[in-house]
Amino acid sequence: MKFTRRNFLLGTASSTALIKMWAALNVAEAKIVAGSSNKERKLLDKMVRTLYPHNTFPNGPYDRTTEDVINKGNADAGKMLMMRDGLRDLEKNSFGDLSFNEATKYLKSIEGSPFFNHVRGTSVVTLYNDKEVWDVLGYEGASFDKGGYVNRGFNDLDWLPEPRIEEHPDHANFFVATQNKLAAKQTNANQ
Amino acid sequence: MNIDKNENAIVIIGSGAGGGQMAYQLTKEGIPCVCLEAGPFLKPEDYSNDEWSAFLQMAWLDARGTSGSWRVNKDFPGLPTWLVKAVGGTTTHWAGATPRFLDYEFKTRTTYGDVEGASLLDWPISLKDMEPYYDKAEKAIGSTHRHGRPALPANNNYKVFANGAERVGYKYYATGPYGTNAEPYDGRPGSIQDGFNFQGDKNSSKWSTAVSEIPKALKTGLLDLRPQSHVVQITHNKSGLVDAVIYVDANGDIQRQAAKVICVAGNSIESPRLLLNSASNMFPGGLANSSDQVGRNYMRHMTGSVYARFEKEVNFYRGETMAGFIGDEVINDPSRGFVGGYYMETLALGPAFLSSFLDPGAWGADFAKMMDGYSNIAGMWLVGEDMPQATNRVTLSDSIKDQYGMPAPNVHFDDHPNDIAMRNYAYEKAEALYNSVGAVQIFRTPPYPSTHNLGTNRMSARPEDGVVNKWGQTHDIKNLFVSDGSIMTTGAAANPTLTITALAIRQGEYLVSELKKGNL
Repeated sequence: MKFTRRNFLLGTASSTALIKMWAALNVAEAKIVAGSSNKERKLLDKMVRTLYPHNTFPNGPYDRTTEDVINKGNADAGKMLMMRDGLRDLEKNSFGDLSFNEATKYLKSIEGSPFFNHVRGTSVVTLYNDKEVWDVLGYEGASFDKGGYVNRGFNDLDWLPEPRIEEHPDHANFFVATQNKLAAKQTNANQ
Repeated sequence: MNIDKNENAIVIIGSGAGGGQMAYQLTKEGIPCVCLEAGPFLKPEDYSNDEWSAFLQMAWLDARGTSGSWRVNKDFPGLPTWLVKAVGGTTTHWAGATPRFLDYEFKTRTTYGDVEGASLLDWPISLKDMEPYYDKAEKAIGSTHRHGRPALPANNNYKVFANGAERVGYKYYATGPYGTNAEPYDGRPGSIQDGFNFQGDKNSSKWSTAVSEIPKALKTGLLDLRPQSHVVQITHNKSGLVDAVIYVDANGDIQRQAAKVICVAGNSIESPRLLLNSASNMFPGGLANSSDQVGRNYMRHMTGSVYARFEKEVNFYRGETMAGFIGDEVINDPSRGFVGGYYMETLALGPAFLSSFLDPGAWGADFAKMMDGYSNIAGMWLVGEDMPQATNRVTLSDSIKDQYGMPAPNVHFDDHPNDIAMRNYAYEKAEALYNSVGAVQIFRTPPYPSTHNLGTNRMSARPEDGVVNKWGQTHDIKNLFVSDGSIMTTGAAANPTLTITALAIRQGEYLVSELKKGNL
């Protein structure tokens, strides 16, 4: 087998949480299809929104995240079956009709299952890596091409006083003096 | 320069803080050497200012196993470390913190006494031995606050951190010492505070061997740098001296480079793994392993982070990531419930990584609320001395192989009760600090995959206690050296790069002198 990062990631360690995060960055091509119906998509969308509820996020990031959950959940036959069964359970428990608190309670009850782990693990990576989410959160990201943040607010916090940046005048002596003091304390305690 | 593969060369394995420094120390003295680096030569223009794509670009993702009760094994199984596979090694990723070890941290067995379950040992060298090399290392790196180098300015995250420090009564805080230029130094520009650091610094204000020692060594014309050359074995002759390395090149072809001296600098996971994978009839337990200490005493520092949300904006992602230190807790005061000390250092992550690392596996309304307040978050890292334990260990996996068919390393780690006590104490102190400046929500973040990996080829006065002597030369094989953080006898509280650099400069001087005397 020729070694590539992708078949390594998916092959040898696909059960691990972080591998799922990496894999989540490579959109898998899928023919089908657990989660492809409107009804199923809605269930997944609700699950993603219950896991990571943000009133301030527009629909776009949630849509893209749901799409990714579906694609990666169909990356191979095993995943597809896992997705199919997970979706059946959501349906059986009328997940679509649950209030936010009820839905949270239900997800708590399936936490740790492969289906839950797949949806959560994919969502946390895809949702918070979405540029539209970054805009909402106020994260400006790469700045090198704009000359960094040196003239664009790296030090614009004004609700606290300007702190000292130099070391304390006693700094050089601190470690030695403190240590000697502690050593003396120890010796006294032992006597 | 091209060195013939049949020529008995000085061969350095790895080009990070240890290996890159060795390459420069030798070539600047007129001694040619081959440097074999497993990863590609990424240049600053190649670095990606995007957390996930940078991680995929440069992290060491070869197959590895994990075991033990540490939380990394649960949250990130198979990813024990966060290290870089590229020329420059993990100096590409390091934040820039350059504190020195303290005097007592070189003699912890004497200072702490017998700590149950810990394999503490005094270093065979002292702070006094190291001081001249710390000076040289700080000048090589260009540490702020040292040797006339100015301090970096306060960024937003530091303002919260330093004000909190002042309010809870800490005194020893500052924006350094830090290995990133505040103003131009050594041909590299001052920081533009672009907020990217762990991903490599596109502006080259941050020191790394990829932008400093390696280019300088190449300029001498005496360095044969071979990127994408992954060493799989070291071989030896009948008299028990090492004589060559076997490596896989960029084309997947297997090569042999004859060697007169070999310096292993592959970090605390790969270096012991290579010695173990080089076992032979003469050395059935692996090279330089008559003590059975190769791979043992693996240390990763006591770590943890605390992120706090405030009413008002912080925008902690802008500016130099770790340019903020508090040293007040770096003392050995057993009345706190543990031996050894820890630093508090500023830390910032983008939304992509913060969401994955804040509390791995977390979800729900509280988590979302924290993320909603992303602009208002400040953060710090807690890094302290952890206890060496003989059972915390890098071994060869019986089930996992890497892409070359070689047994992968397994990293086993259990927290020592001292590590846990220190972490809990440090969490409380960090929370108190942020509460003093008005935190409204706080998360205690567990350790990330380890960037500080130490101790697996430790330095010892007596051959039976460790793998290398006070020069980093293996006790068993005189022309085999270890040149990275795996030689640290104990880990201290300080971030390790400055000490790795100082040890490499010191070892370089020794090696040059031994070569000139004809002893090797």
